[in-house]
Amino acid sequence: MTDGFDRSEFVGGYLAEVEEHLGNADGQLLKLEQAVRANAPQLRMLRELFRALHTIKGLSAMVSVEPVVELAHELEAVLRTRDRTATPLNATGVELLFRGVRAIALRVRSFAEGKPVEPAPQDLLLAVAALQTANGELPKGELTVQVAPELLAKLTPAEREQLNQGLASGQRALQVDFSPSPERAAEGLSITTVRERVGALAEIVKVVPRSVAKSPVAPSGLTFSLLVLSNGSAEALAEAAHVETRELVALSPAPSDSEPPDRESSELAIATDTIRVDVRRLDDALDRLSSLIVSRHRLERAVRNLRERGADVRELEALLGEHRRELRHLRGALTHARMVPMQQLLERVPLLVRGMARESGKRVRLEVDARHAELDKAVAERMFPALLHLVRNAVDHGIESAEQRRALGKPEEGVITVRCTQRTGNLLELSVGDDGGGIDRARVAAKAEAPVPADDRELLALITRPGLSTRDAADARSGRGMGMDIVRQVTVSQLGGELSVRSELGLGTTFTMRLPMSVSIFDSFVFRCGPQSFVVPLSTIEEVVELDSAQVVNAPAPKRRAASARILRRHGENIPLFELSSLFALEPKAGLRSALVVRREDARFAFSVDHMLGQQEVVVRPLEDPLVRVPGITGSTDLGDGRPTLVLDLWALQGSAGSQAVQP
Amino acid sequence: MPRLSNTVEVVALEILVVDDSKVMREMIVACLRALDGARFTHAASGLEAIERLSLAPFDLVFLDLNMPDIGGFEVVEFIRGQDELKALPIIVVTTRGDDGSRSRALSAGATSFMTKPFEPDAIVAEARAVLGAGTAHD
Repeated sequence: MTDGFDRSEFVGGYLAEVEEHLGNADGQLLKLEQAVRANAPQLRMLRELFRALHTIKGLSAMVSVEPVVELAHELEAVLRTRDRTATPLNATGVELLFRGVRAIALRVRSFAEGKPVEPAPQDLLLAVAALQTANGELPKGELTVQVAPELLAKLTPAEREQLNQGLASGQRALQVDFSPSPERAAEGLSITTVRERVGALAEIVKVVPRSVAKSPVAPSGLTFSLLVLSNGSAEALAEAAHVETRELVALSPAPSDSEPPDRESSELAIATDTIRVDVRRLDDALDRLSSLIVSRHRLERAVRNLRERGADVRELEALLGEHRRELRHLRGALTHARMVPMQQLLERVPLLVRGMARESGKRVRLEVDARHAELDKAVAERMFPALLHLVRNAVDHGIESAEQRRALGKPEEGVITVRCTQRTGNLLELSVGDDGGGIDRARVAAKAEAPVPADDRELLALITRPGLSTRDAADARSGRGMGMDIVRQVTVSQLGGELSVRSELGLGTTFTMRLPMSVSIFDSFVFRCGPQSFVVPLSTIEEVVELDSAQVVNAPAPKRRAASARILRRHGENIPLFELSSLFALEPKAGLRSALVVRREDARFAFSVDHMLGQQEVVVRPLEDPLVRVPGITGSTDLGDGRPTLVLDLWALQGSAGSQAVQP
Repeated sequence: MPRLSNTVEVVALEILVVDDSKVMREMIVACLRALDGARFTHAASGLEAIERLSLAPFDLVFLDLNMPDIGGFEVVEFIRGQDELKALPIIVVTTRGDDGSRSRALSAGATSFMTKPFEPDAIVAEARAVLGAGTAHD
């Protein structure tokens, strides 16, 4: 052997890289499994899988792990055939591939641990080899889009089919051109980074390098043409690839006679389906809508006044009714825009389960049923770690080992079900269930030194006690993440939802979270008024003033039942001061008090309150049909004491208090 | 075999090693440490290889066949389609040791063809042979 080359030097790198490829192979197999079920195109996964296995094979040959080379070779041969002939695999085929990849992982692990590596199982090799017999026919590969002849010549039948299928499913075929140069390379712009960025937004079907005349656009005489399928806008892709939009040529469906692609008209054909919007912009829009709703209240009052004076306001009232409905729809539409599909949120879970199952040596199948459920982004972000915790618990503690399951007469493969259902109104029900051993109540009770829980409700109370762990032994993941107490805290206290459990010994456990689909989250001032706490959004308050009797003058006596109106003198300005306690018929506390000064455009007013409790970020659940029905109260929140606290919109409150106070 | 520039200054032998596996690239580079004065550039994909070749001159390319974007065959074809790269020695190093792959790579224009696993000595010998042939042409 030549000096400087020692195979053992590469074992660490080998293991790390193979581990990565095995992870990728698992991910592709999961996608493949879904594609088989949905009867969707498989080409991309077949190819990715092929590459992963091919690399594993090459590396394993270098470090002489022969059984792995043999397995990987057989598997990649199947994949190559399927790719070349564009023949999809069925569920049995995918399962065999899964077994093959598992067999490789097992042997790599033995190698890593320095144990002898088992030979490749011959029956598996034979079964996999049998998959090579393709039973489909080659697709004709006639492309339904126009592609420059030099690119067309490079497309394999399978790639043409991939383009056709993408187009058939409503995607757009685009061509992105990138020309490398030393300057672009210095900016970090290379075919590798461009490919990554484009790949994040679109499905890359093919990249063709083309020699072009040297020009300022292509200083090195080289242009890469990326043929991609995309749901997104051409603009987003152009930005990702750092190419001018004009360099993007949309490939329009080919007309019967082959005209050259018309750049202008094809560009017009590009429409935007999805855009990314900063959530804050949506919140801002919601905020503006709130003001609109407040001014509508004033309009309503004005109409009422007119009617009381004997005017004919029927037409106005009809318009108001229509206006109210439209505002409600607008609010619904804005709230909807903040929703993320559960399906998308749960995409990461299957891989996680695969990984955990592999670590624990258990056999676990994950079933996800999210249908069309959607969840507000803010809720989703808070809920997701809790969901992951429940899934992790199900793998680690719910599902039994394959041997135990066999002994119990259960199928060796455990099933974890994540189900997501939209309930009536604003509620989403999310459950994580397993068909494992169930929670042993007596053991949990003994561990917690508490009486054995009589039912599921008591069981939940017990297992969500802070600090309780039902783990028998510390495993790799214990101590990380959060316990069941945090799951409850997130679900119940933070999000205002409910958590329940159903567990039967020997049959399994199901946790169910019921969550509001939308909430809003903002920084707020918390203050007391009488015996109650209230919350106002920080952004609505201009300043908080310590009240001192010298600053306050009483205004002329207002009408009966109105909030007592006074004037606060501040920086030489007279600000109307309303008493919040009298508005809510609460008993104000004596002593030092504070006032919240609210300003909108040029108008200022203030509310006096008992005392400020501080600032805090709150999660607000909207009240049923908020704003429209209860002017001044936008929702409720939990400050951590388990009791609902009202969230006030002082501007709207001022509307009702002010109009009563100033009416003649 | 360092190249001589017209200023009679010794220029390092520039070698481009193309493989999507980092470990594999490192293994090849480790084997080639025996070549004096060689400088190595890594490319993790066929496209990256083509890009690098368009931006700087190289004396020798080690090329894998199976890569994520475009395969080694296409890289060879592309290189041979460029006037200034026509004489660039390309050594294909692949796990695909079958005769079909070999003849396809060679007919596309690869200078030589080796299979993985390879012996370190063999790869150095191959590099020497290919470079020797290349300089003889100049």
